[in-house]
Amino acid sequence: MKAASIRSTAMYAYAVLLLAFILVPLLIIVPMSLTSGNSLAFPTPGYSTRWYQELLDDPRWFSSFINSVVVALAATFFSSLLGIPAAIGLVWGHFPGKRIVYAVVAAPLVAPVVIVGVAAFSFFAAAGMTGSLWALILTHTALAVPVMLTTVVASLQGFDRTLVRAAASLGAGTMRTFFKVILPLIAPGVVSGAIIAFIISFDEVVVASFLTTGEQRTLPRMIFSGVRESVSPAIASVAVLLVLFSALLLGVIAWLQGRAARMRAGAAS
Amino acid sequence: MSSDGARAGQRVRRQNLLMAAMVAPLVLFIVFIFLWPVARFLWLAVDNSDMTGNLSRTFAAIGEWRPADGPPPEPVLAALVEDLAEARANGRDGVLAQLVNQRLVGTRYLVIRTAKDASEGKFDMRPVSEVLLAAHPGWNDPALWSEIIRASGTVTDYYLLGSLDLQRSADGGIERVPADRAVFLDALLRTVWISIVVTVICAVLAIPLAQAIVSAPPSWSRLIFALVLFPLWTSLLVRTVIWIIVLQKNGPVNAALVFTGLVPEPLTLIYTRFSLYIAMVQVLLPLMVLSLVSVMRRVPTSYMKAALSLGAPWITAWRRVQLPLIMPGILAGAAIVFVFALGYYITPMLVGGPGDQMISSYIAFYTNTTLNWGLAAALSVQLLLILLLAALLFWTARALTRRRGALA
Repeated sequence: MKAASIRSTAMYAYAVLLLAFILVPLLIIVPMSLTSGNSLAFPTPGYSTRWYQELLDDPRWFSSFINSVVVALAATFFSSLLGIPAAIGLVWGHFPGKRIVYAVVAAPLVAPVVIVGVAAFSFFAAAGMTGSLWALILTHTALAVPVMLTTVVASLQGFDRTLVRAAASLGAGTMRTFFKVILPLIAPGVVSGAIIAFIISFDEVVVASFLTTGEQRTLPRMIFSGVRESVSPAIASVAVLLVLFSALLLGVIAWLQGRAARMRAGAAS
Repeated sequence: MSSDGARAGQRVRRQNLLMAAMVAPLVLFIVFIFLWPVARFLWLAVDNSDMTGNLSRTFAAIGEWRPADGPPPEPVLAALVEDLAEARANGRDGVLAQLVNQRLVGTRYLVIRTAKDASEGKFDMRPVSEVLLAAHPGWNDPALWSEIIRASGTVTDYYLLGSLDLQRSADGGIERVPADRAVFLDALLRTVWISIVVTVICAVLAIPLAQAIVSAPPSWSRLIFALVLFPLWTSLLVRTVIWIIVLQKNGPVNAALVFTGLVPEPLTLIYTRFSLYIAMVQVLLPLMVLSLVSVMRRVPTSYMKAALSLGAPWITAWRRVQLPLIMPGILAGAAIVFVFALGYYITPMLVGGPGDQMISSYIAFYTNTTLNWGLAAALSVQLLLILLLAALLFWTARALTRRRGALA
């Protein structure tokens, strides 16, 4: 029994070490980004928020942030528009070729992103669409929609279809049934899927580096080109803000899932 | 009764049609915005239409003539002048010059200048041979004409062979390119090797961690799991940039090493194979843990307990009982990590050195810098084939372990 307890202590010690490897880098840049010096160094010579101020003052950082938000919101909107009806059709419909549909939709998930970027660049350049954000929005929609589809499919799996029949027998039309009955019930899954879709687009850099230049630059694109010159404390500050932003969105998802679980538990009792 | 049944059947059919119609826009979208552009790009690996389209008269005039028969005859050169003048008028002379230059380095300006002169009517007199060859003696080179003749098909294997460091020899056979130009096989092997190393490290590190998550009390288990998965929510770029900051000369790792006296002065940790492995493992480890935990949660603890109570040493019990049971999880995780690693671009680019670049970097390079679409497409075909092969291998391995599990 003694050997077993040593083993489990060792196992937890190991888990803590590995967690440190995974998480400490994300934390250690917080004090580093608050440096008062001109370059990134550890330990920091002194603390100040000057590099965060610099982000606010430089219009390029702000405009790239706006571009990223616009692209991510649009990609999220289009992947919801395409993904939600498709998920309903796939879960409730009986028709041949469903496996092919899943395979086609999963393709953007597994394709190497450089190939996606180069192919999109060549395609949208030929279509004369590289001067706007549309090319990026459409490609990001393709990258985000598989995740949107899977989360909505998962939330439909536990859906009681008699509710739809009940709504129809009470005289509700298709649209009304969708917005008043189906959507509220699958809302946690839809919102989680939408947040993940947003993150996928918001963080994506490779396709953005092929499809955007100059004024259409997104935030990751700005970081990418900045890093290739030199890693300034401004970049560390952006990194900190992005990590915090991810933590916030993850918190929202965790809260939504907890709520959905409580709702299910409430319905069961 | 039967008409009721027919009506119900009709309703079900209409319902299913509606459901299929709701799926259709998504499928069409993916096909047109994703699959079609990728297919169109991959086709460039064998496409030769820029060559045949812009030199159609020349190819027709060449017919059975070969450079070995003597200097290029008058009709060939006359056709060439016409083709080049037209290419320039259509703005295709730059593309054509690039294509010819790819096959015989140093011919770019020959093509561009000849096209310019041709479009200005400098070769309008007959016989054109004398004027043309006097002005641009480069067209007397038999090697150039051999390359042009070899590039006359509607499709070409030039780029696919090139992506494997191969080329056509003068007699049409396949040979290795000179050693100074052979870079792609190395890049291919390096890509596969880096991916294997990262996958193995991830598996070795993740197994005990996943075991700890599964055997911890529920609240701890949830906390550790959430912390392990948290990096998946932060961007790959941000995590890569963080490693540059952490591993740089005056970064925290070097500060700690110097402070503790382990090293006398800061080490070069960043822009090396070592930093590439560190960054890739940190980024991909959560995926491995994720698939391991999902399999381990389904393995009952009673098997290990039974083996231990029968007197097996812990390590033997783990290797003979637990390991085969969690093998599907290891294989699934390894498949995900390996396939993702193969396509890595951002991380090698930013934290690796010049000798650590993977195939994706070459694809981006040939697209961005030299506009060699054919080679970029050929390398993409190569990368996709490796992905497919890896997927097949993992799928077979999984089927085999399943069957062994069923027999046992």
